[in-house]
Amino acid sequence: MKIETAQPKRSDEPIWWALFSAGGVCFAVVLPGAILALAILPALGLTTGDSLSYARMADMVYHSLWGLAGLAFVAAAICLPLFHAAHRIHHGLHDLQLGGGLASKLLCYGLAALTSATGVWLLVKAWVS
Amino acid sequence: MSDKPVSNKTAPGPYQPVMHRYWWLQHRYFRLYMLREATVLPLLFFIGCLLYGLYCLGQSEAQWQGWLAFMAQPWVVLLNLLAFIASLFHAKTFFELFPRVMPLAPAGFMIAGQWLATLLVAAGLIVILGGWI
Repeated sequence: MKIETAQPKRSDEPIWWALFSAGGVCFAVVLPGAILALAILPALGLTTGDSLSYARMADMVYHSLWGLAGLAFVAAAICLPLFHAAHRIHHGLHDLQLGGGLASKLLCYGLAALTSATGVWLLVKAWVS
Repeated sequence: MSDKPVSNKTAPGPYQPVMHRYWWLQHRYFRLYMLREATVLPLLFFIGCLLYGLYCLGQSEAQWQGWLAFMAQPWVVLLNLLAFIASLFHAKTFFELFPRVMPLAPAGFMIAGQWLATLLVAAGLIVILGGWI
């Protein structure tokens, strides 16, 4: 009798699942407040006068907590939710019989990684200069 | 006369389930499942708005004013309102999963705690970004 000795192939799914979960927490906990504070309340005129002025926002995004506040916001409101969305779209495409294979996996997670990197780059570029 | 050849086989071939693309429309549970999957679409719109804002902030004050004007357009506000509703629907489904995956405390208690976290973060962001601090 032949005994199977080869190591089973290690799955990469835990990585995507962890990013999906972390992004899901951000989407549920951080995004409702972020959407209200940045997109809905200011548009309805429900913020104080110059709260979103250029000087105040630049100072807050690039300088509060040595720039860590801006980085944390980019991570929690942009990068992790992007990987959450990539996971949902990858599996949603499978449900619609439009994808779910390697191509849609590379496309979804690749775009999420690229867009996340763009977000961090936009922040760091302005922070350095 | 039929176009299909008549089979003489006694045993049927391998079972091949027929599943069409819109299988999920047939049951409320699966419609809600697909709706939950779709919550990421308005989310992506809002993330796009954020990236656009981050870009404008790094350019100039005039660009930033342009972003504020963009965000105040009715269709943008409407899509972001949709993103807000989607985030709450996602939160409801996500919060209900956590006590089942990791039962640390009674489910109702954990769900309430998670909504409290969302509420506190929202209050903090509104107070800070709204200029009340």
